[in-house]
Amino acid sequence: MAEPLLRIEGLHYRYPQAAAEALAGVSLDVGAGEVVVVAGRSGSGKTSLLRACCGLVPHYHGGDVEGQVEIAGLDAREHGPAELGGWVGFVAQDPESQVVSTTVRAELELPLEIRGERAAARARAVEEVALALAMPHLLDRTTDSLSGGELQRVALAAALVLRPRLILLDEPTSQLDPVAGDELIWLLRRLNEEWGMAVLLAEHRIERCLAHADRVIAMEDGGIAFDGEPEDYLEWAMACDQALATPAAKLFDLAGLRPLPRGVKAARAALSACDIDFEGQTPSLPQAPELSRSGGLTPKGLTPRRLTPRRRDPGALQARNLWVALDGRDVLHGLDLAIDRGERVALMGRNGAGKSTLLRTAAGMVSPLRGQFEAPGGVALLPQSPGDVLLHERVGDELPGAAGAAALARVGLEHARERDSRDLSGGERQRLALAVVAAGRQGSSLPGLICLDEPTRGMDQARKDELAAWTLELAERGSAVVVATHDVELAAAFADRVVLLGDGTVIADGHPDDILSGGWYFATEVARILGVPGAVTPLQGAAIIEQRRAVYPAPGSVAG
Amino acid sequence: MRPALAYRHVPGPLGDGGALAAGCYCAALASVALVSSDPILLAAAAAAVVVAGHLAGAGRALVVALRWGAGLGVILIVVNGLTSQRGDTVLVHGIVLPLLGNVDISAEALAEGGVLAARLAIVMVAFAVHAASVDPDRVMRLLRPLAARSALTATLIARMVPLAARDYARLGEAAALRGPLAAPAGRAVIARRLVAGSLDRAIDVAATLELRGYGSGVPRSAERARRSRHDGALLLAALGIAAVGFGTQLAGLGSFDAYPRLSMDAGLATIGAALLLPLAAALPFAAARILEMRRG
Repeated sequence: MAEPLLRIEGLHYRYPQAAAEALAGVSLDVGAGEVVVVAGRSGSGKTSLLRACCGLVPHYHGGDVEGQVEIAGLDAREHGPAELGGWVGFVAQDPESQVVSTTVRAELELPLEIRGERAAARARAVEEVALALAMPHLLDRTTDSLSGGELQRVALAAALVLRPRLILLDEPTSQLDPVAGDELIWLLRRLNEEWGMAVLLAEHRIERCLAHADRVIAMEDGGIAFDGEPEDYLEWAMACDQALATPAAKLFDLAGLRPLPRGVKAARAALSACDIDFEGQTPSLPQAPELSRSGGLTPKGLTPRRLTPRRRDPGALQARNLWVALDGRDVLHGLDLAIDRGERVALMGRNGAGKSTLLRTAAGMVSPLRGQFEAPGGVALLPQSPGDVLLHERVGDELPGAAGAAALARVGLEHARERDSRDLSGGERQRLALAVVAAGRQGSSLPGLICLDEPTRGMDQARKDELAAWTLELAERGSAVVVATHDVELAAAFADRVVLLGDGTVIADGHPDDILSGGWYFATEVARILGVPGAVTPLQGAAIIEQRRAVYPAPGSVAG
Repeated sequence: MRPALAYRHVPGPLGDGGALAAGCYCAALASVALVSSDPILLAAAAAAVVVAGHLAGAGRALVVALRWGAGLGVILIVVNGLTSQRGDTVLVHGIVLPLLGNVDISAEALAEGGVLAARLAIVMVAFAVHAASVDPDRVMRLLRPLAARSALTATLIARMVPLAARDYARLGEAAALRGPLAAPAGRAVIARRLVAGSLDRAIDVAATLELRGYGSGVPRSAERARRSRHDGALLLAALGIAAVGFGTQLAGLGSFDAYPRLSMDAGLATIGAALLLPLAAALPFAAARILEMRRG
């Protein structure tokens, strides 16, 4: 058997001054040309594992390390990241911290220049990597003029310019919109197929990359809880941690179908093989009461959505013929939108469609050029990074006095007054940030409109479930909740209304079942598999499949 | 919004010139203020840096540097006026101040403070023009083989400045979102939060530099940087400016004495030398323009 490209034996690692081990007895081999997806909840050790694979752990971060890491036969404890750079490249989450030069060309030349490559060799390597990543047009751009997706591509190119044999990516799509994220994953697959480069990819949105994986590793408490093929991984996830499973796997599991599919294509093929085909048919979706009655369809984490009754009075937001310009460019073009209290609205649309601008206008941060705008119950806007709102160390210092205590109590954080806000969990920090932006906006109650701008960046599925439950709670307490998001699965999970923006106007507005099942881009994985109007969640999809099987029982079905 | 002192590529001698030549040009402009205290020569040097900044497309950097220079200049004039108890022309007599006691303020002391302020402002503006117009990547490439650690630090700082500016804008915006009953978020609180965040950022950027190969010892320079067609004119201008600055000193021109009474050399030779400074500063830009016109 060929020598593995990466070999880790019994690796234990503890960050300086940390109480617990970040990596606890990890053993792992990665062969040349393998695509390995690393799954796991936040804090499970994915990032530490990747950092150990490129020598940043322990050379850069310090700490206590035991065990062995070898990359192409080089001991990572003896050779630092700079020496290993010829064999292994690393791309981290935040694209902004991964570029160090002024222009893209200089950024790509830097590793070669430091290693003493001649100008001709540098020029050729830069040209080749730019062509491979379809970015020659970016070469002479300054790095501060690039979008997040372009910056991430430049960071990948800089990691690849030395032609390493293994590339490590730590949630590279977490800061990207879905189009840029999908493009990056396809790019990795192409690099793997054409250059034979091994890929070790840590990712929360497993459904995005599972179809391209040769193997999946699941991390838990710093150790490897699972290591195997994607289909086996899905079985493991459904049995052990459903937050790590894909919507397609949940759909098949609910419908009692096996094997669990690694992606849309495999799912469609499997359904077709068992004669479950919805081509040309528009079966009716069972109503919510039927779903709740079918006891087998409500496993852990898949509770059916509750529809909040729409109350017309008083409204949370009224925008009529709203025009907003930024930097001399019209962003909102005569937008009309009314949102009632108690509604849970997913605000969707491509980058630049006007989602954030609408929320910022609602919060009074941008003045409209024209049109009418009313939010009688007050508006609280939570920015993309809730931590930006938290400026004091002690939770109680953020919200002083009796009014502050009451504000903390409203978000269930009255017990945390003496704690450091950095010690709170991600969900608690989000709630604290809401308490800070909402404090005093509407007397002693919550504001009429609560807006969250891209709240799920870098969140694992468990946190997203927590967020969905929280939005439901806020809506039940009378606030309208508007979430600007690219995440169609989240929208399907929490919203009772989806508003789709395009070029600063509303291009679609309706129930998630309608909006998220009728297209390619703004469609959930289940909708893309079944192609049935109204089926967007695994629960709905499974009900449709059961209904279809009841009407047309298929001989020799693969159903389990 | 981009920070005023952040580099922005503008085609032209400073934007496209070599780091060495562009550095010499800006250093020469600053050197006049460092070696001379004659108001006429300083006025000419100030005109020269303004000409250079304007022609290099660094107008915002010029304005910001001048604003900072003016602020510091006022402080210098006031401090010098209060602390230097020399000069025959007493404007204010016998002010009693804590720590300083009984002080006089003379016109000469204020004038000396003004000259110091002008010298400082010219140096600041020259460096602001350099920061805004000369590609830092080229400067790092020049420095890397000479001083690896300094280049590493400079690269880190060069990257951190725009990141910190962006973070500050984001934090300011988030502070504006705070509810009326939340604890107020003053500049000091935001600045403290920014510093804490910047340290995390710096760690990430430094890790990236480590991965790019900075940790592998002294970087090797494969060959000299490519020369630019503007280098000749820039170096010639730098030589001319430095010659005026140092030459006038060697020749005893441009003398200035603040005490006991103001005296300065306002001879024709000094004025003629001073006029050469803005002309020399404009030379690389004029040469580039002439070449373009000939081609066009």
